[in-house]
Amino acid sequence: MRNVTSQKRISAWLAWLGLAPFFLFGIAFEIIPVLTLARSSLTAKDALTLSNFERALTPMFIESFRNSIQLSAATACLGVMFGTIVAHAIVTTRNRFVRDAITALADVTTNFGGAPLAFAFIVVLGSTGVVTLILKMIGINLYPTTFRIYSIQGLTVAYLYFQLPLMILLIIPSLLGLRREWREAAINLGASPTQYWLRVALPILAPALLGGFLLLFANAFGAYATAWTLTGPDVNLVTVQIAALVRGEVQLDPALADALAMLSLAVMTLCVAGYQWLGGRAHKEAR
Amino acid sequence: MNDRGIWRGIVIALFLTFMIVPFLATVLFSISVRWDRTIFPEGLTLEWWDKVTSRSAFETTLTNSFIVSFATMLALAILVTPTAYWAHIRVPRGKPFIEFLTIIPFGIPGVVLALALIRFYSQVPLPLINTPNILVAACMVLALPFMYRPVANALDAIDIHVLTEAAQSLGAGLWQTMLRVIVPNIMPGIISGCLLVFSTVFAEFTLANLLVGTRFKTFPIYLVEFTRFDGRQASALAVISFVIAWLTSLLIIWIAGRGGRPAESLGAR
Repeated sequence: MRNVTSQKRISAWLAWLGLAPFFLFGIAFEIIPVLTLARSSLTAKDALTLSNFERALTPMFIESFRNSIQLSAATACLGVMFGTIVAHAIVTTRNRFVRDAITALADVTTNFGGAPLAFAFIVVLGSTGVVTLILKMIGINLYPTTFRIYSIQGLTVAYLYFQLPLMILLIIPSLLGLRREWREAAINLGASPTQYWLRVALPILAPALLGGFLLLFANAFGAYATAWTLTGPDVNLVTVQIAALVRGEVQLDPALADALAMLSLAVMTLCVAGYQWLGGRAHKEAR
Repeated sequence: MNDRGIWRGIVIALFLTFMIVPFLATVLFSISVRWDRTIFPEGLTLEWWDKVTSRSAFETTLTNSFIVSFATMLALAILVTPTAYWAHIRVPRGKPFIEFLTIIPFGIPGVVLALALIRFYSQVPLPLINTPNILVAACMVLALPFMYRPVANALDAIDIHVLTEAAQSLGAGLWQTMLRVIVPNIMPGIISGCLLVFSTVFAEFTLANLLVGTRFKTFPIYLVEFTRFDGRQASALAVISFVIAWLTSLLIIWIAGRGGRPAESLGAR
């Protein structure tokens, strides 16, 4: 009897070996490189220290964090707001074709970013872009003072191109979960549509909205290709700074890049962990 | 009721305008003689397309991007599919660890992943650093969630225990069961994953730029170079990127729709 159970236990342990290739990959290309980075960010002259982080707090790097956080927060806020409004329009339309087509469009565009996107926005909103020219014709001069696509403002508009679809995809399941009876019950009890939204729908949607905000924030915070193509080194963002340090364009010690990288990793981890936690809660409540 | 219909129409129209105008404008820009002084292009031409596609670098970079995308896609399919199946059927307690490793990529910015890989692999005597190999490995990390999610969802949607037992009671070995029974049943999930990986890696700029740079130029790197010195030729390259991304995505949607079970392709980038 005991022999059988111990055999079972051995085969259960052996079964884990089947997952070994995957875990080896994860350890070799995710865990160890990140830990190496963490260690070197905490080491100076072979001693454990926080001095690399202290040195990372120069005005230029602090500004890069401020810019990155502002850009991420702005695009996440706008993305959550407009994304939810568009998603609401999509789920309430009775035209199936419109619903499917726009969901498909969101699916396509949320994974789209980088150089082609940046370039498309230069064509549209650059100093000689078509929308710029049209606005000029009707008397609105964007350039040189009101708006520049090659700036944080411009990046905000360009980032919305992938932030909006992401929010739409994230929030649609939650919007579909709002039951028609809840609305009817609220209206029957004398609530106005506004009251229904503020007192019933939004509290139910709150975890999903907050989770969406966090994921969009992380999405923008880690983005680099769009910013680099659109603004080059002109806009001071964390990812732009790290990339410049990696390419060796700026002569600075490597430990500084590591410290900056660890700080941005911390911001991202908090966002993604928060998103996961909220997602788990929403899941439980739905059950 | 009618008011709400109008409101909905306006919202959807504005959204569509915002999403489609940049693409259409880029297409038109790439076939315009000149389009920076007037509302409408000053004549149409295919000159920029001719010029940009006749360069040898065009073919090289396009080929390089295809190689990296295919290599990443195949390697991920081979790594993830058996792992996900094995975890579902034999080691369900391993799933949280697998999921942890597939969530990590969402939390690592591309620039940080590149830096971390350079820090570690420049100390290790392996033929990785500064070669396309490291780029494929990095792209595998980046695209891991896109492969794992659709495959895991497809496995959840069928009764793999019953299928596995049936196959084994008929005398099929483990590999036979997986390749002849399980894989055909989760094919829509695998293909969605592959396409998603393909389009993500094909458009990847950050990792390629920082890990291999000019040693192994990919298509997005070529495009960024052009945006700096000739916008009209760059616009033709941008259109190609748009079209590749849209075509692969439409294929995914078509497969998901046909399979009946939506292989959840969303889930963040």
